[in-house]
Amino acid sequence: MRRWLAIGAFVQALHCGALAAPQRIVSLLPSLTETVCVLGACDRLVGVDRYSNWPASVRQLPKMGGGLDPNVEAIVAAKPDLVLVAKSSRVLPRLRALGLHLEVLEPQTHAEMDAAQLRIARLLAVPDSEVERIQQSSNALLAAARDALPAQALDWRVYIEVSDGPYAAAPASFIGETLARLGLANVVADGQGPFPRVSTEWVVAQQPDLIIVGSMGATQLDKRPGWNHLRAVQQQQVCAMSPEQADVLVRAGPRWAEAAQLITQCAMRAANGA
Amino acid sequence: MTAALNVKHLGVQWPDTDTPALHEVFATAAPAQWTAIIGPNGAGKSTLLRAVAGLLPLGAQLHGDIEWQGRPINTWSRQALARHVAWLGQGEQGAEEWRALDVVRLGRLPSQTWWPSASDPEDERIVEATMRQTDTWSLRHTPLGSMSGGERQRVRLARVMAVRAKVLLMDEPLANLDPPHQADWLQWIQALTGQGHTVISVLHELNIALRADHIWLVAQGRVLAQGRASDAPMRAAIEAAFDHRISLHPIQDQWVALPQASKHSNLQAD
Amino acid sequence: MPPQHLDPTPKPLRWALALLVLTAVGWVVGGLSGSTGWHWPTGSQDVLTWTIRAPRSSGAWLTGALLGLAGAVAQGLFRNPLADPFLLGSSSGAALAVTLAWVVWGAAAPDASAWLMSVGITGAAFMGALLAVLLTVALARGVQHSLRLLLGGVVVSVVLGALTSLLTLQWPQVLANTQGFMLGNTALLSWQSTQVLVAVGLLAWLVAQACARVLDALSLGTEAARSLGLPLNLARWLLIGVVALCTGAAVAQAGLIAFIGLAAPHVVRSWCRVTHAWLITLSALTGGVLLLAADIAARLLMAPNELPVGILTALVGGGYLLWRLQNKSGYAP
Repeated sequence: MRRWLAIGAFVQALHCGALAAPQRIVSLLPSLTETVCVLGACDRLVGVDRYSNWPASVRQLPKMGGGLDPNVEAIVAAKPDLVLVAKSSRVLPRLRALGLHLEVLEPQTHAEMDAAQLRIARLLAVPDSEVERIQQSSNALLAAARDALPAQALDWRVYIEVSDGPYAAAPASFIGETLARLGLANVVADGQGPFPRVSTEWVVAQQPDLIIVGSMGATQLDKRPGWNHLRAVQQQQVCAMSPEQADVLVRAGPRWAEAAQLITQCAMRAANGA
Repeated sequence: MTAALNVKHLGVQWPDTDTPALHEVFATAAPAQWTAIIGPNGAGKSTLLRAVAGLLPLGAQLHGDIEWQGRPINTWSRQALARHVAWLGQGEQGAEEWRALDVVRLGRLPSQTWWPSASDPEDERIVEATMRQTDTWSLRHTPLGSMSGGERQRVRLARVMAVRAKVLLMDEPLANLDPPHQADWLQWIQALTGQGHTVISVLHELNIALRADHIWLVAQGRVLAQGRASDAPMRAAIEAAFDHRISLHPIQDQWVALPQASKHSNLQAD
Repeated sequence: MPPQHLDPTPKPLRWALALLVLTAVGWVVGGLSGSTGWHWPTGSQDVLTWTIRAPRSSGAWLTGALLGLAGAVAQGLFRNPLADPFLLGSSSGAALAVTLAWVVWGAAAPDASAWLMSVGITGAAFMGALLAVLLTVALARGVQHSLRLLLGGVVVSVVLGALTSLLTLQWPQVLANTQGFMLGNTALLSWQSTQVLVAVGLLAWLVAQACARVLDALSLGTEAARSLGLPLNLARWLLIGVVALCTGAAVAQAGLIAFIGLAAPHVVRSWCRVTHAWLITLSALTGGVLLLAADIAARLLMAPNELPVGILTALVGGGYLLWRLQNKSGYAP
């Protein structure tokens, strides 16, 4: 009887890969890919989803489909000992049934992001002190960004448009939290979910002081009825984010401090009337 | 006197088939007469009528000469031909939710300009006249879908007659008509030919067709014979074309076709 | 069946006037209300009323009118009461063009896509719609056969839709934009859009009226229509052009809005039995009123959020058709 128990425990341990830190990691969520790299384990990645694009080195890795529609065959063929996957992936039971060791994480708030970072660090056998160092340096970047904000920007109400619709970033979103940490006000009120679809009419009524929008949307702004009457448009207090910058801004990942820096740079440009 | 319709060497071939639908057809229809086209199933009667109307589906290959009033059909403009020849197809479907009045009004299209202008009182008078003649005036606001088969057919006949064309081509015009209305149809035809119109009709109802002024007997893509039912050779040809499954008998000055059991039937009761 | 002696001829005019009155009412309501609440204009310079709400209401009505007109023409052309003006593939062409424009825009350097910027998303959508219809006609090898046109339209829709999906897979950052387009959005209608819609609408209406008798004759069947001496080929080309123009302009300005084109002619036919001359005009007026009403509802139902108007038209249009199917009161769809 005891022999069977021992064998059972051994198999269980093998199954969870608890015997050694994972050396072959597949990540199916861009923010988790970035977290792995920030923790210094980029070289252990053997496959990523098609949307992971930072740092540049992960673009050379084999693509395993999307987060929601991963390529199960490719994942299994890569023989990973750890698969980082989002909660909303339909393929979870399938991957589990195939005996892969999964870690299910989908950080959507700053708190969840920190927790996910810690969890992954422990899985990868990265010491807690390293995680602390990383988090402290992010906080320092944030403090620097906050200090660099021009004085007039502190009263500003910011409108961040994440995609055509228009869909705005509310305080409940990751970037909304970052904005709040910078001490800036959001035009969107609480209680509408993270990315509410707002009406163009409503934005005009709100008269935001600073508009942050993707580069494609920025060129179409004055085509929206009534928007050339917006103070922010008239005074050129609009920032167009390139696709790479938009990724940094909106992704709920470890580069959130960079996002804060982007916002500050935007505010500085706008305040100088650039 | 020029024939109303003269057909020479007419051949019609569908694409991708070996046997032609019509082959070396010669036929004439005299003006102010009623010509009936009869023949066994699949003989090519409808194809022949469509061919002379210029209504074969695109893709059909046609060769030979078709002359209306002595002029080849391809010298007639589309609108002139539409005013000269009115067409009633077999089993016309559609327009279920249309009122009878609007359907009959379509018959005036060949005589109208393209732009839908206010209705011409002359057109309205013709439409009313034909509807009264076909006993459909009381149904004028009824949608076709709510009518019986016979009423619908009479509305369609009214539409054809409203064209006021010199020539009327009709494919199975008696479909769904009960005997009293079939008799009415005969009267309309006789009135029309009396007024100088030419009528050519494909008919399944042999007993009606045998009363025509002129008959085209069509079988296997050819016109086997032309003539009147009163001619003995014509009658012999008709009986032969139908495989002697019918016999023609005179009853009260009319020739009548009676079905006949085959001598070589496999279905004999034992 | 008891004969109906009532002459319904004055009815179309009465319906037209009623629809115009509804239009006026809707336009006023649309100008005064929106997702930010009731607002009385403070003068001729009031931005909210004259720059945002008034052009939006006008544009919504015009878009609906174009779709209704195209729907009546499509149903006559295909002799099928379930025909939708998007059957010829214009919506998938517009979606593909718009997605492609966003991809190129995002991927290429700003100065390289300068001309794209001048043409704009709207121009791209319009051209995409027209090209898709041309492709359908090419696949059907001409305009003679309705069945071939329908099949061609289905093929074009499916293939172009797949290409669009492929693009959004490869460049996922445009996915949200494409989806926004597909749901229909009246918020971007400006006075400029209104001008374009008016121009297209007038042209389409004139051409459709000229071909109205041909549509009437087509209801008897192709053979009978040919026998009546009508220039069927020319009329078919013109009518397909009308459908392409109307749907192209509507989709370019407001995205994909379902059901208006399908439902408007049905609504008209359930009120009065008219030939195509009146059917086209009444369908246009009905489509306009329907979409304007849907737009106002889209703005008010979940204020300050706005619902995509395409969802409302699908709900209302689908619901109406379902109700008609249940009733079947003397009306055979």
